[in-house]
Amino acid sequence: MSALTSFFEKLGPEMLERTYEHVYLVFLAMIIAIIIALPLGIYLARSRWAKLTSAIMGAAGVVQTVPSLALIAFIVLVFALIALPTIGTLPALVALVLYALLPILRNTYTGIRQVDPSIIEVATGMGMKPHQILFSVELPLSLPVIMAGIRISTVWTIGIGTLCGLIGAGGLGDLIIKGLRSIQMDYLLAGTVPAAALALIFDWILACLEKLLTPEGLKYRAGSEV
Amino acid sequence: MILFERVSKTFQGNVEAVSDLSMEVAKGETVVLLGTSGSGKTTTMKMVNRLIEPTSGRILVDGADVAEQDPVRLRRNIGYAIQHIGLFPHMTIGENIAVVPNLLGWSRQKTDGRINELLRMVGLEPEEFRDRFPAQLSGGQRQRVGVARALAADPPAVLMDEPFGALDPITREELQNEFIELESEIKKTIFFVTHDVFEAVRMADRIALLDAGRLQQLATPAELVENPANEFVDQFLGQHRFQLSLLTRTIKTVLHDFPQAVTAAGATVPGARLRASNSLIEALDMFKQTRQSTLPVYEREQFLGNLGKEQLLRTITKVLGETEASP
Repeated sequence: MSALTSFFEKLGPEMLERTYEHVYLVFLAMIIAIIIALPLGIYLARSRWAKLTSAIMGAAGVVQTVPSLALIAFIVLVFALIALPTIGTLPALVALVLYALLPILRNTYTGIRQVDPSIIEVATGMGMKPHQILFSVELPLSLPVIMAGIRISTVWTIGIGTLCGLIGAGGLGDLIIKGLRSIQMDYLLAGTVPAAALALIFDWILACLEKLLTPEGLKYRAGSEV
Repeated sequence: MILFERVSKTFQGNVEAVSDLSMEVAKGETVVLLGTSGSGKTTTMKMVNRLIEPTSGRILVDGADVAEQDPVRLRRNIGYAIQHIGLFPHMTIGENIAVVPNLLGWSRQKTDGRINELLRMVGLEPEEFRDRFPAQLSGGQRQRVGVARALAADPPAVLMDEPFGALDPITREELQNEFIELESEIKKTIFFVTHDVFEAVRMADRIALLDAGRLQQLATPAELVENPANEFVDQFLGQHRFQLSLLTRTIKTVLHDFPQAVTAAGATVPGARLRASNSLIEALDMFKQTRQSTLPVYEREQFLGNLGKEQLLRTITKVLGETEASP
């Protein structure tokens, strides 16, 4: 018991501060990623420009295949070349946003694409305008898929966020790196456990949100009785 | 009401879906577009509400060229029903029916009243059904909602694309009969697409038979069955000719075959009477249900004569002979 107390006495304040930094970084990255990926996914799903669509989806897919460590390194190098800050929040944020884009983009795109075309046609045939179809048919019907994308993206970003400690962006990665360099288990744990806990908590919160946002009518299987 | 003037539609790759089609659907009439898949029947229908634009020719609804109208406003004035999949799964039955009234900006009270009225009209109790979701309904119930939704804003014309296509044969016939009854009350102009010749014969005032984008014959069901315009129509009806004849021939048309018809109304089971407009099939059904050997035939309230079961069967045998004899 006293070991735990001394652990918190020693690392508690720093843990809290790093966790705060981490959440802040992830939150900001997610907001930016959603702002970019959601409208882009909607646009691509509705556009008939097949080449553009496959180019963008392909590019986002390529980013995903680059190891996260390498991606961060690349960004630092590129930032150095164009004389932008190579240390701190900005390069870290760019890396996280790039990583977070794909699951949201892909799920938004496929979510809207999987809406039955005959439903869109009947909506058109009844005299709905394109934006009315988007907001009252396509988005509600693809919301569960879109939310799943945001959820995956958030959990990834929390994990990858620890790497941002390497370039001085703070966060829980700082503690992990400190633990690694000084071979101190308590630092390592002080970084890892909150990161894992954050991932679980956010996953749970977003799962609840997903359930809440799923239209009630989609929760019934076809033909089932009340 | 709906007028096609030399309408053609060529899709990309020079596929001619509809070719030089001219026809008219009169106000209050039910015209069934009949044909196999690829005959251009759905394309023809979708050109009316501009889901597809014709390559050449004009379509007029109520005298106005549809190409000159705002498609959104045009569509809100034309009912539209497709196979059951067309209900919005995330909306309740009431919300589904309310789509067009809401687009038209009806008051909540008016829309609510209309939802209840329509649900009752298609035989679904509003209290039980209006807050349910499509997935909680059977196929037949969903289809009734589809019909109710197409009628929601009381449009003068309704387009129906195989609305009963996804149903089992029994439910389908039930819904067809309900719809025929409903239609006789509401008197809408109906443009109905099907590949099922029996459905066409049952529902239609006139049938437009299409093949490869060309109109082969536009005629009443009886005319189509008795006088096919060309070899294609003849082949299309093919082996169904006999059954179709029993559907399209009414008692009235064969009444002269019964010279010995008794003039006095005999005492029969109350309510067991035939209408002159009944088809031979319906007459046969009535004999089976009532287990009578003769039934009185009425036209409205006027007694026309008695029809014996034996006579009916003899007539049917005669029809069979005729339909077999034809090439």
